[in-house]
Amino acid sequence: MLIMKDISKIFQTGDIQTHALRDFNLTVNEGDFISVTGPSGSGKTTFLNIAGLLETYTHGEFLLDGEDVGKLNDNGRSRMRNEKIGFIFQGFNLIPDLNLFDNVDVPLRYRGFNAKQRKLRIEENLERVGLASRMKHLPSQLSGGQQQRVAIARALATSPRFLLADEPTGNLDSEMANGVMSLLEEINQQGTTIVMVTHDALLAERATRTIQVKDGRVSELEILAQQAIA
Amino acid sequence: MLESGIIIRALMRNKIGALLIALQIALTMTIMVNAIFMIQDRQQQMQRESGIDEKNTFYLTNTVFAQDYNIQVEMQADLNLIRKMPGVVDAIQINAIPLSGGGWSMALQHEPGDDKDTVSSALYMVDDHGINTLGVELIAGVNFTPNDIQWRASGQSTWPDKTIITKAFAKSLYPDDWQSALGKTFYISQNQPMQIVGVMKNLQAPWNGWSGVERSMLVPFQMESQGSKYLIRTEAGRRDELMPIIEKALAERIKGRLIRRVTTIEDTRKKSYRQHNATNKILTTVVSTLTLITGFGIVGLALFSINRRTKQIGTRRALGATKWQIMRYFMVENFIISTFGVIFGCIGAIALNMWLATTFNLTPINIELIIIGAITLFIVGQLAVLYPARKASLISPATATRTI
Ligand SMILES: Nc1ncnc2c1ncn2[C@@H]1O[C@H](COP(=O)(O)OP(=O)(O)O)[C@@H](O)[C@H]1O
Ligand SMILES: [Mg+2]
Repeated sequence: MLIMKDISKIFQTGDIQTHALRDFNLTVNEGDFISVTGPSGSGKTTFLNIAGLLETYTHGEFLLDGEDVGKLNDNGRSRMRNEKIGFIFQGFNLIPDLNLFDNVDVPLRYRGFNAKQRKLRIEENLERVGLASRMKHLPSQLSGGQQQRVAIARALATSPRFLLADEPTGNLDSEMANGVMSLLEEINQQGTTIVMVTHDALLAERATRTIQVKDGRVSELEILAQQAIA
Repeated sequence: MLESGIIIRALMRNKIGALLIALQIALTMTIMVNAIFMIQDRQQQMQRESGIDEKNTFYLTNTVFAQDYNIQVEMQADLNLIRKMPGVVDAIQINAIPLSGGGWSMALQHEPGDDKDTVSSALYMVDDHGINTLGVELIAGVNFTPNDIQWRASGQSTWPDKTIITKAFAKSLYPDDWQSALGKTFYISQNQPMQIVGVMKNLQAPWNGWSGVERSMLVPFQMESQGSKYLIRTEAGRRDELMPIIEKALAERIKGRLIRRVTTIEDTRKKSYRQHNATNKILTTVVSTLTLITGFGIVGLALFSINRRTKQIGTRRALGATKWQIMRYFMVENFIISTFGVIFGCIGAIALNMWLATTFNLTPINIELIIIGAITLFIVGQLAVLYPARKASLISPATATRTI
């Protein structure tokens, strides 16, 4: 469970204050596949970064798996990112100097798994995204869609509870985007909670829950919808 | 160990920068180790004892210009005057001063005749006060007696039949048992017999760069010449006070000669090793500068590669790396580059030393120096990479999503 209560985030750039999130409230339940849409600059990435512990928030309360994130120090946050969260980026963010095997290995090493466990997890997850045969390839030798699949394998390798994706299909053509989306659906069905920011209305609809962010808040539509469900 | 395998593989895809730094480390180590070796060698040379009582000894020159000057009589009178002065231990006339750079060299041979093997040595002409004035230690045999002392005219080619030599000289004559030199007769100027009556612990030749610098001999001669040197030894701490007094006393005792160049042995030593000191300073500067440049090179390369990898570092943080794990990455990377540098540096250092050893007749380098050089460069590398690594560790994980 991921619970955000009245989270706000203020960026201070010189004299200018930007309220990226204002009283942001959201509960993500185990097994959810949530798509987050909203206009550019509305705070989607900020929300996802805070949810993924990449950024701190200014006010509010944030519980992840029952743990108060605000009380963690930098090392604690690193550990929690590694154990509970898998992150997928719009630009894939694979390490260009490392082959697929070593790329998937990165978070496993930070976790401190031994070589045998790591090998098992790397092979299993590359298998899961259909790229086990290309373990020794460099990212640059793959298509965008394949690179994003490697990134998904890397995010899943540590068996996180939450998969956070910021426009994972933003750099892909529609066919590849479709493939990645299907993969995410499959992963969600296998039990991983997913929060995905997207611009693509068609993909957004395929999620089990859709929320809209506007001006740093979860928009009225979503709140109404939540009430309707209740 | 510590993801070094991954780091090496990543390095192999960006070889040039790392290779240049490794080469720089290798070059620095090559030069550092050999320079330190040369510095140490010089320092050891400078620390060798001359054998004389350096702190309390000085000398001056006596130049006679008067026509009616009785050199033999006046010299004896000079020495008697100095020897009686309070605070003076002893004084002699001598032909050359240890460490001064100028002097006499003669050779002794086991058998008389031409084409025989000889061993050369510095030669000091002194009277029976020589041992006491120089402050050398007689470790075997006896001193000259007053009867042994002869006058030597300018240009005279015959020699007295007695000598006192240093232990090092005795060892050169009898490599297996220096003591057997005592009492033996050798030949000087091919065929003039000369018996070794005493052995001194040590007394250096005037030339500090000569490989036979420890070989010296005393012969019982007083020189009858217009120009001569007086060497004077004082009681501890009284040298500076007595120098002007003696200079004045000599000048006033008799006219017709000049007393000049009153010089301490300490100054002579300083002058003698001025070049050594200067060279060592230059070498030290070169080595420090080179090390500093290498350090800055490492800082530069690390900062460059960190700037280039900002997003990658942010991604690593997003995937769960702690700040320390990011720092460690760059420190291990530097350690790997340094290892390559140091390995080539070892080879370079030994190669350069071998070349120097054959070209300039230096002794081979010792292994400790190479180990110290290697450790120094590892430390320099780790210190240099500390700031860039710290900077890298402060890159926000949000960089992963915020940069394109
Ligand atoms: N590091 C930052 N410093 C200042 N302002 C920022 C920073 N990051 C984001 N913002 C601002 O916060 C707001 C929300 O940004 P973001 O969450 O990236 O929006 P979205 O992902 O929905 O396009 C924007 O106005 C953006 O300019
Ligand atoms: Mg965004």
